[in-house]
Amino acid sequence: MRSLVDETHYEVLELGREASGEEVERAYRMAQSTYAPESLATYSLLGEDDAAVLRERLELAYEVLSDPASRQRYDEVLDGHDDGGAAQERSLQLPSLESEPPAPEPLRLRAPAALPIEGFTDEEEPDAPYDGARLRRARLARGVEVDQIAEITKVNPSYLHFIEEERFDDLPASVYVRGFVTAYARCLGLDAALAASSYLERLRQHRSEAEETRSWGRG
Amino acid sequence: MGPVPDGARMIAIGGGKGGVGKTFLAANVAVCIARAGYEVVVVDGDLEGANLHTCLGIPPPPRSLADFVANREEDLVKLLVETREPNLRLIAATHANLASAQPGHFQRVRLVSRLRQLPVDLVLIDLGAGTHPAVMDYFLVSDDGVIVFSPEPTSIENAYAFLRAAFYRRMRLGMMTHSVRALITQAMDQHNERGIRTPADLLREIETLDPGEGVRFVSTVRSFRPRLLVNEVRTAEEIKLGFSVRSVCRSYFGLDAEYLGYVNHDPGVRRSVVARRPLVDVQPDCDASVYLQRVAHKLIQGLGAPGVGPELSG
Ligand SMILES: Nc1ncnc2c1ncn2[C@@H]1O[C@H](COP(=O)(O)OP(=O)(O)OP(=O)(O)O)[C@@H](O)[C@H]1O
Ligand SMILES: [Mg+2]
Repeated sequence: MRSLVDETHYEVLELGREASGEEVERAYRMAQSTYAPESLATYSLLGEDDAAVLRERLELAYEVLSDPASRQRYDEVLDGHDDGGAAQERSLQLPSLESEPPAPEPLRLRAPAALPIEGFTDEEEPDAPYDGARLRRARLARGVEVDQIAEITKVNPSYLHFIEEERFDDLPASVYVRGFVTAYARCLGLDAALAASSYLERLRQHRSEAEETRSWGRG
Repeated sequence: MGPVPDGARMIAIGGGKGGVGKTFLAANVAVCIARAGYEVVVVDGDLEGANLHTCLGIPPPPRSLADFVANREEDLVKLLVETREPNLRLIAATHANLASAQPGHFQRVRLVSRLRQLPVDLVLIDLGAGTHPAVMDYFLVSDDGVIVFSPEPTSIENAYAFLRAAFYRRMRLGMMTHSVRALITQAMDQHNERGIRTPADLLREIETLDPGEGVRFVSTVRSFRPRLLVNEVRTAEEIKLGFSVRSVCRSYFGLDAEYLGYVNHDPGVRRSVVARRPLVDVQPDCDASVYLQRVAHKLIQGLGAPGVGPELSG
């Protein structure tokens, strides 16, 4: 259990060596919010000084890993062929210097390669139809708020809420709803065709039932 | 939390703070697991605030853990109470002796070993609030320890206090030498003279004192995997809190905690408690019920197919 200060840049960001640039970006943003001043996650456990040290460490890790050239140089150092094998030699020598019992593998050498928030995405059957609640659960599992979708898709956030809550009577004509649901699903990386067709089917059913009730009322 | 080859798997639901939803979660998750076909016993571990039976819609049972604590009944099978679910039985904690509710140390050891011997697949213990030694014991002997918290500073604070208590107790149990155990006891006092503030400080001290114990300390840390459950989330941001807490567990304790899942805040929960019915019964399709199912599903991973456990008799 080394302190974060002794860890590799990858370990600091809880990433595997093969992490993509986008994964580095997201892990960094996640960690930034974890160790931000006033963060709920560190409340009562880490003092502001401790958190500040960790934030500095994060910045350094991000600086190196977010730039492809510096990341490559760093990878070479990690792989031990940067300076004519000096690093490799060091790593070969170190264990023999100690006569203590062999140390167990360091804790959490390799963090899961997946982005943290993706741990929850695939928990529902992929081919199952989408209703408002499932769209909401998929959004939440990806760590996305309604306003963020609204900003990206330019769809009025009230409509996005109506879609999730299935307030069909407050939604516009189905051609618009199809567009909104498609944009919503794309934004989250969901199967947009499946989302739109299954949601529109629910909308159609609701509206035809409502229509039937109305005509009964008249008749 | 080493798995035991024979005997029921034990899961404890704790978290320090009162009212974060431990009992509500225990009742609903137990129902979900029972419906998946496993034989489940859910135990009310809260002798000072028994109410698990209420969440399951059962009137206060005349037999309970209190009879075991008072040495009136040794056979836990006799304390089992049927629920509405065919595969789910309850051991209640009703009518505890107000003068001395908690079992003593040896009683706890006996209780835990008997719980494991119950002829079922899974024993789920709902813990009381706080960090009483009895609560910590049940948490640490379980195969899975779930820490419940909600996205509020008070709840986070108590969850970390709970985790610190669990961590140091667990580490102390894992050490061989008296001197290192004494050192850990010292470190449990946050104002200790040696200036040990964090688990990393403690490890450094242990390594200086006895490198072999240092190695043992690290492997004990690695074998401890608390599972985090965030209750009453309202936003995506609050769901992410589980990942952040996991990350802090790693950087502060060196622990590889698992983010087990989350359950959203839903006014239906309160209605279900008032109706004394599990939420997954009253509103099986609401988001909270879907999330409870997910949590149950994750907890039974690695349990094997249901229905292979021995039949309950008596
Ligand atoms: N997800 C939720 N949404 C809405 N309300 C909730 C939720 N979870 C719990 N509650 C409310 O919180 C109340 C307290 O829950 P519960 O009794 O399960 O807490 P507890 O952690 O067991 O408390 P104690 O430590 O006192 O045993 C419930 O009766 C319910 O009204
Ligand atoms: Mg309770």
